[in-house]
Amino acid sequence: MRNALLVAAREYGENVRTKGFWIGICIFPILIMLGIKAEGWLEGVKPTRNFVVVDQSGRFDAAIATALERTYERAVASELQKYVKKHGAEMPAPSAEALEKQKAIDPADFDVEYVSESEAKSKVSLLLLTGGIKPNSPPFEGPRRPFRRVDLPADVDGTKAPAEIAEALRPYLRGKKKIRVEDADAELFAALILPADVDERIQRPGAKRKKRADREGAQFWSTNLADGDLREELERAINEEQRRVEYESKGLDAATIEKVQQTKVPVARFDPKKEAGAEEVSIADQIRQWAPVGFVYLLWISIFSIASMLLNNTIEEKSNRLIEVLLSSVTSSELMMGKLAGIAAVGLTMLVSWLGFLVLILKLNSGPEAQVATSLLEVLQTSGLLPAFVVYFVLGYLLYGALFLALGSVCNTLKEAQNMMQPVMLIMIVPLMTMMFIPKDPNGIVATVLSWIPIYTPFVMMNRAAASPPMFEIVGTTILLTATVVFTLWLAGRIFRIGVLRTGQPPKLIELVRWLRQ
Amino acid sequence: MNEPVLVLDRLKKTFGDFTAVHELSLAVPRGSVYGFLGPNGAGKTTTIRMTLAIYEPTAGSISILGRPSALEVRDRIGYLPEEKGLYKKMTGREIIAYFASLKGMKRAAARARAGELLDKYGLGEFKDRKCEALSKGMGQKVQVLASIAHRPEFVILDEPFSGLDPVNQQVLEQVIRDLRNDGTTIIFSTHIMEHAERLCDRLVLIAKGRKLFDGTVAEARRTIPRRLIIQTQVDPSALQHVAGVGAVHAIGKDDKYEVTLTEGANADHVLAACFQNGISLRSFDRSEPTLRDVFLKFVGAEDAEEEVVS
Repeated sequence: MRNALLVAAREYGENVRTKGFWIGICIFPILIMLGIKAEGWLEGVKPTRNFVVVDQSGRFDAAIATALERTYERAVASELQKYVKKHGAEMPAPSAEALEKQKAIDPADFDVEYVSESEAKSKVSLLLLTGGIKPNSPPFEGPRRPFRRVDLPADVDGTKAPAEIAEALRPYLRGKKKIRVEDADAELFAALILPADVDERIQRPGAKRKKRADREGAQFWSTNLADGDLREELERAINEEQRRVEYESKGLDAATIEKVQQTKVPVARFDPKKEAGAEEVSIADQIRQWAPVGFVYLLWISIFSIASMLLNNTIEEKSNRLIEVLLSSVTSSELMMGKLAGIAAVGLTMLVSWLGFLVLILKLNSGPEAQVATSLLEVLQTSGLLPAFVVYFVLGYLLYGALFLALGSVCNTLKEAQNMMQPVMLIMIVPLMTMMFIPKDPNGIVATVLSWIPIYTPFVMMNRAAASPPMFEIVGTTILLTATVVFTLWLAGRIFRIGVLRTGQPPKLIELVRWLRQ
Repeated sequence: MNEPVLVLDRLKKTFGDFTAVHELSLAVPRGSVYGFLGPNGAGKTTTIRMTLAIYEPTAGSISILGRPSALEVRDRIGYLPEEKGLYKKMTGREIIAYFASLKGMKRAAARARAGELLDKYGLGEFKDRKCEALSKGMGQKVQVLASIAHRPEFVILDEPFSGLDPVNQQVLEQVIRDLRNDGTTIIFSTHIMEHAERLCDRLVLIAKGRKLFDGTVAEARRTIPRRLIIQTQVDPSALQHVAGVGAVHAIGKDDKYEVTLTEGANADHVLAACFQNGISLRSFDRSEPTLRDVFLKFVGAEDAEEEVVS
């Protein structure tokens, strides 16, 4: 026992001193932070997209301008809310005078859907005056505009046929020619061409399907197919305008219709499994549904990364014959147990620090405005996911760790081990493939069958954890898994004992069977 | 006290159809330095591994420190395997301390002992250097020290000299002498006869899994008839008729001749006979047969040459 602990302590000491370990520890919180912040950063670094509109019909120009401004104002409003949240001060005990001034400010003013940049600025300065904002706050700036409409380049004639215009714009769109914007060269991101006869190309319900060429009502030209924001924005603007015109032509009041369209019957989601009065499905419930997928992934990554550490250092000890000195000092089962325990400790250290970082980051980022982070935190703290994770980690690790140890003990070089790993990898990949669709039918036939296959039990049961699978299955699969772990450890012990001292070709399967009989 | 440290009784090991060790019996007296000599593939390492219970013998029995299995007395044995390797990322001091603690030493004591040994055998300044940064010879010394750090009463060194330069070979000889002076029983295997000659009290000669000779160094020498090596440009065949001379024959190309002597003969008479017969000598070598000669005699020139050269 003492020897196994010494072996474990050495394994632990050696592995936590590697660069890889620390990179592993750090990479996870960095990835999470990136995941949280990346969207904002990416938006921040995305250049302002320049585009031209050639509206030969003359009907959509104004609508497009209005729609883009609307979108921008919405962004300003959300920026304003963030600004007030960040720089807002506790209101001082209101003096009569301040109270008077405060009346001028309706808190609801800041909870608006649209606001123009100038209006937002004036609201902020008013707030600054009344002490609602900390004195040294930076001035409010509206967000960067994502899109900018520019004039048609001078050498393109906007009155020609759409095809010719497109041809003339081609070098600009392909970046071979630059456009002039505010006395600087800039790239043209996209062009929207609305032909004069756009009316004849409109699709109406019940009408005969038009020929392909005639279906091109408007043409959106851009080399960037991935960033669809501008196209969607323009398409919505055009279509809203078109519908407005149609309402009016049919004698309907467009403004009324818009209002009507915004009315809705909210559909709340309920889960009959929950207790009476609390059936409503919250964000936390959704997270609870999907968080296991994250855990499955984490489980998979951590089990296999540390099980392969076992493989590697067994091969190291074997290839430099340290194994002989070790075996003259400890028994092979002490050695095996020590290695398993030492590497498990490495893995647990990594996992605990990961989960610690996760909770920490969520705590730092949670708050009324970050509902997802808050709910995720709540789920982590209240659901049984974490304990389940730990149990499945330990059992899964022992199972795969024992297999990898046995594998390592019969190989002399890493290359041999990699060859033998290939079939194992194919089998191991299954839980990753089923990971995403198991939550959709967590107690279905596929999930149930996979749960009863011990090598998949940890992953699949983790996957299903949120759907409260039948108790019989939880207990049954865990017992089966535990029994398999014990059996595998025994098996691996026998192979290990003979394998570690063997040199030359890895044994054939039939030889392995003979070793087990010995 | 005089009970042997190790007794092997008709020990046998087969791997499939191949018999690596044939019914080997020997006894290693306490406090002796015992040489395992033999060409590669002779069964030395296999015998040592069985002794240490790394391999299970196919037949026969072992008594080590009075027990049937080394597992029961692991902590009292030190072992240096034939192929040498270390944990690359650990320092010499850590490795020695680790192996000593596996043998039951307290960790602090093991660490202190590791530092002490490294200082004593000239590795003091490399104590805290990672093994991947040590030279091969230094690494090997670290490994030797790791095998003896826990003050074992019985040390088994498998080919401890291979791969060491002459300076380090001397250090290692010193290590072995120091151990003997402390009363440690030592087995070491080698095919370099000079080391065996200088260090061994007793030796066993093995080839193809069979014991060819077992006894003291002096006994080993006595297996070879006494002889003189003379170097002369005159034909020395006249010496054949001198009393006490068995045979005279040429060896090599440098005008060297081997003159075998019969039991009880006096080399001085041969020297006198040379003068009387007008055989002018360039050299007259009356040194005793070396273990190399013994080795050659038992193993056969062909096998041995290959070994000694390598």
